[in-house]
Amino acid sequence: MSAGYEILEHTADVGIRARGGSLAEALEAAARGLAELLGGAREGPGERRVLHLSAADPGALAVDLLNELLFLHETEGAGFGRIRVRPTGPSAAEVEVELVPLAGEPEGVGVKAATYHQLGVEERPDGSVELRVFLDV
Amino acid sequence: MEPRKVEPFVWEIPVGAVPGMRVPGIVYASDALIRKAIDDRAIEQVATVATLPGIVGASYAMPDIHWGYGFPIGGVAATDPEAGGVISPGGVGFDIACGVRLIRTELEWEREVRPRVGRLVQALDRHIPRGVGTKGRMRLSRGEAEKVLLEGVRFPLSRGVGTERDAEFCEDHGVLEDALPSEVSDRAIQRGAPQLGSLGAGNHFLEVQVVEEIFDDRAAGAMGLFVGQVCVMLHTGSRGMGHQVCTDHVKVMDRLMPTLGIEVPDRQLACVPVAHEAAQRYLGAMRAAANFARANRHVLTDGVREAFGDAFGRSPRELGVEVVYDVAHNLAKLEPYEVDGRRRVLCVHRKGATRAFGPGHPELPDAYRPIGQPVLIPGSMGTASYVLVGTETSAGRAFASTCHGAGRAMSRTRAKKLKTGHQVRQELEARGITLAAAHWGLLAEEAPYAYKDVSEVVDVCEGAGLSRKVARLRPVGVVKG
Repeated sequence: MSAGYEILEHTADVGIRARGGSLAEALEAAARGLAELLGGAREGPGERRVLHLSAADPGALAVDLLNELLFLHETEGAGFGRIRVRPTGPSAAEVEVELVPLAGEPEGVGVKAATYHQLGVEERPDGSVELRVFLDV
Repeated sequence: MEPRKVEPFVWEIPVGAVPGMRVPGIVYASDALIRKAIDDRAIEQVATVATLPGIVGASYAMPDIHWGYGFPIGGVAATDPEAGGVISPGGVGFDIACGVRLIRTELEWEREVRPRVGRLVQALDRHIPRGVGTKGRMRLSRGEAEKVLLEGVRFPLSRGVGTERDAEFCEDHGVLEDALPSEVSDRAIQRGAPQLGSLGAGNHFLEVQVVEEIFDDRAAGAMGLFVGQVCVMLHTGSRGMGHQVCTDHVKVMDRLMPTLGIEVPDRQLACVPVAHEAAQRYLGAMRAAANFARANRHVLTDGVREAFGDAFGRSPRELGVEVVYDVAHNLAKLEPYEVDGRRRVLCVHRKGATRAFGPGHPELPDAYRPIGQPVLIPGSMGTASYVLVGTETSAGRAFASTCHGAGRAMSRTRAKKLKTGHQVRQELEARGITLAAAHWGLLAEEAPYAYKDVSEVVDVCEGAGLSRKVARLRPVGVVKG
């Protein structure tokens, strides 16, 4: 998991397991995993966009973040450069994302949504966090 | 978790297999198919669906069952709103009213189409937009999108696209009543408005097929099918519109559940009682997205007609390009059934399962009332597809439901490890199938070996009394999303 995330197998769909030294870092890794799946991981620079997210719990925050990125990918034809997550509460964050226009159709999988299926957030004693999110493909 | 075989093709998961089950699980499968369902943990999902409040009869699974998210794919659950029964958006899925449309022609394969199949597939390639986020054939303003959500196929019809006959042979005549566009978010409209008349990606496709075998002459005759005939099968849904509707409403229900004292074993089973305001909002939005899905397949049909016109230099009318039927396999509907001697209106969730009304059902088009509802079952890319019909026994087996396809047997990652997209393309072309794909690299994810044997799946459906075989079709041209 050198990139901070790994792609999980699922019979029809696909999942992301992401780790970081904090929830914010794990969210960033999950976002990078989604960008790779979409074929939308890009080097910046791009248009800076700031998202303000607030959810019921850290797992739902991860789902919200991935769904926001899916929305931007689909409606703006955007790939993603640098993604920075700054916590603003236990399950709230300000997310800064670089949107990089994609030339033509991306070579990734079509992802419909991030789901709550087997959603997992594990906080370790050292403060590191592991997230697990499945996506509907 | 090992289900118990209770009769041929019927397996039971007893109450208690997981905590909180209110009814048993019933899986329709052969010995080989049940083993696959156990191995990929889909059986556990059948059991967890059985914990939903107000579930009636059993948590059912069709023979093409596989691991889903919350609900198994191939899952059917009916709840009784009068007994606190719930609606779960996850039991419909993100691709609301994803479904299949079969279009027939008067063209005969060997003599008329085989010599021109390359030209036909190229024409379809030009006329059928596809891929992620692709712009569709009919781009809509916000106001127009709201009309599609309310009117379904009536909107493109009002713009001169398609025919009244197309609407007649679509489930619900192409329009679900009681849609609430006001409950569809701006974001959903933003995603969906540019996409009407587009195929999408993933397992969505269009195939040129040839009727290879007829099993039921009377039913095939009613549908205008004959051996050697060229047809087109379309598989797609509500695109970003439906995806966002599900995302929005699952989130609402996930937050509401604790306040209503509802607990589910998997958060994607998020649900609220059908009588709750949030459920009514979801149902209205779901019906609106379903109208979008029907309109999507309707507008794509126009692209099919144009492609045939281009390829054969004759009008689609002369070529007899007509809709056989259009039916969804991801939807929840309020339907009346007799349960324990009492007539009840149930909320029937079908997630990767097709409605299969038997003969005489009042909702069927006149032409199909004597034979039962057509059920359209796409196989995996390159293998057979089937036309089935609902039977007299369908309603009593699983609330008039049957399978929806072959069902995946392996993950996309594993499928891509076995062969490259290029290899899969070569193999299909060697079998005489002409291909067009948005992304050749992704072809391996949908390769035939990634799916179960569709013939075994439909044989189980027939053996279990869920539906009956009418015709088998084989692909000669594939246009992939």
